[in-house]
Amino acid sequence: MTKKLNIALVGNPNSGKTTVFNNLTGTHQYVGNWPGVTVEKKEGTCRYQDYQINVADLPGVYSLTAYSLDEIIARDFIVEEKPDVVVDIVDAGNLERNLYLTIQLLEMGARLIVALNMMDEAGGRGYHIDLEHLSYHLGSPVVPMVASRNRGTQELLGQIAKMAESRVRPSGLRIDYGREVEQEIRKLDDLISQSALSRLYPARWLAVKLLEEDEEITKKFKEGNVD
Amino acid sequence: MLTNEEILRVKDRALAHLRSIYGDDAETIIADRRYGFISGVLKDVVKKPAIERLAWSDKIDRVIVNRWLGIPIFLAVMYGMFQFTFTLSAPLMDWISAGFDFIAARAVGISPDWLGSLIGNGIIGGVGTVLTFVPPIFLLFIAIAVLEDSGYMARAAFVMDRLMHKIGLHGRSFIPMILGFGCNIPAIMATRTIENRRDRLITILINPLMSCGARLPIYILLAGAFFPAYRGLVVFSMYLIGIILAILMALIFRKWLLPGPIGHFVMELPPYRLPTITGVLVHMWERGKHFLIKAGTIIAGVVILVWLLSSMPWGVQYAGPDSWIGYLGRLIAPIFGPCGFGQWQAAVSLFFGLLAKETVVGTMGAIFAVKEGGLGVAIASQLGWTPLIAFSFMVFSLLYVPCVATIATIKAETNSWKWPAFTVGYELVLAWIMATLIYQIGRLLGLG
Repeated sequence: MTKKLNIALVGNPNSGKTTVFNNLTGTHQYVGNWPGVTVEKKEGTCRYQDYQINVADLPGVYSLTAYSLDEIIARDFIVEEKPDVVVDIVDAGNLERNLYLTIQLLEMGARLIVALNMMDEAGGRGYHIDLEHLSYHLGSPVVPMVASRNRGTQELLGQIAKMAESRVRPSGLRIDYGREVEQEIRKLDDLISQSALSRLYPARWLAVKLLEEDEEITKKFKEGNVD
Repeated sequence: MLTNEEILRVKDRALAHLRSIYGDDAETIIADRRYGFISGVLKDVVKKPAIERLAWSDKIDRVIVNRWLGIPIFLAVMYGMFQFTFTLSAPLMDWISAGFDFIAARAVGISPDWLGSLIGNGIIGGVGTVLTFVPPIFLLFIAIAVLEDSGYMARAAFVMDRLMHKIGLHGRSFIPMILGFGCNIPAIMATRTIENRRDRLITILINPLMSCGARLPIYILLAGAFFPAYRGLVVFSMYLIGIILAILMALIFRKWLLPGPIGHFVMELPPYRLPTITGVLVHMWERGKHFLIKAGTIIAGVVILVWLLSSMPWGVQYAGPDSWIGYLGRLIAPIFGPCGFGQWQAAVSLFFGLLAKETVVGTMGAIFAVKEGGLGVAIASQLGWTPLIAFSFMVFSLLYVPCVATIATIKAETNSWKWPAFTVGYELVLAWIMATLIYQIGRLLGLG
């Protein structure tokens, strides 16, 4: 019997996300009439063991703020569609910039797999990355890949299946924002936990977003006043 | 709900409190902390080589995005791209058109006569002519894909953005503009990354001025026929005129239509990367397939319509001045008198080009049918065009109205009919003024 799985691909622009998408689904799986940019939501399917996996290719973004439409699209998809697994494509040669998105995904409570792409280039520059430690710090599986040569795709699929099997909810990454900020987060968190919105989003995440003066989230709270 | 109001009040107090402590927005503190976390993780996880060499990417960038060399290099790369496209595609085009000539010659003999004429004059003359341009279009898309995949296009956008920012325009507009060289539709969609609504709207409005792949057949046909020695240069000049006018129009819109402060931006320069063959081919195909699909649908449909209008009323000389199409053309043609191409054949070609710009060439192909020596020669001899008129016509084709699919995209992205209507209007006026200026000034200078 086939089991259905919904996964989403996210990552910075130029992290090789589209290549991973192609490796997973084959090149003919584009939806959307006008490719060339990954603004449209592209979807494809692939089979792995007895899984039928639906893959959504989200727009390439550096962050998950509400400053651009792409970021809102990516964020809303993960929060509202709740994919079974979110695969975050990370450029191993640009870890510092790429991980900024990763930790925001983790803070949202996404069930995340980090696909560490372009391992060859990072290696070529003399970087050595300790995958086990990285996985430990992020609390997520890390899969090394060279998507341009289709390396690591099977391992990624294996991790996706494994994560789908385990019913454990992710604990969500907790970054310590410092005593003062944490105090305010706690106050907000307590209140938010009693509001209707906390049924849709993690309360701590909402609190952080409010402090970041995120327009979309603030609007959601304001709209809640109407009814 | 009471809680939500309370939450927002607590939030406001928290923000004020944090600002008083840190002297900065909470947003900045939070971002700093996240980067702090990341750098902590990286210290543990990543071992870098003892001496961090200046990556070769940075070394190349010192030249490529150099303040003085950046723009000349960009222009040289574009020029090289067109030379590459032409040199490689010329023999392929000759083969394809020889093939169609061969089939057309057989087809005209088919009975009944009208069927022979439909296939020989209409379909092969029209669709066949458009398909002749498959090699240059696909080669151009290969060149664009190589430049994009290697990371050069991001540099070109960076260089042009710097220029635009200096003259008071929003940066980040140029990536959508460069995408417009392929097709304006994804380019207009790509403007979604521009945060400021005003800046985004301006970028959308000027995008159709960027010369897309569908306009290439017109340039190749006319540049090849009228400027054989300078084909690459003439086509290059079309793209350049598009860019310059786009910048000028952006300045005008920004000053009078949508005034306001300019947004700031940081542009990422991805590291250079050797493009893979598969990647380049996939990107070429993604763009190019639309051209083939259009050839089989819109263009074929228009060509059959053109053939029908050329053959009616029954018994008239095919595509003669008294045919229906001749009548339609003569109705519109006077508008183009001042531009130099007031012939009815040119007028109807532009008319049908409203649907998709490839049909300009397709319509001409169907009207003139396939002639010895090719379509370019037929245009020169039957319309009496000079190189000046051909150039004026190319500029008009570059500038006048976006194709219907682009109009629909502008409507979808701006969520109103006002902006697509405005784009059509200003482009028509701009095209007419530019073509007239070129023709009239050229004549005064004695260029024909």
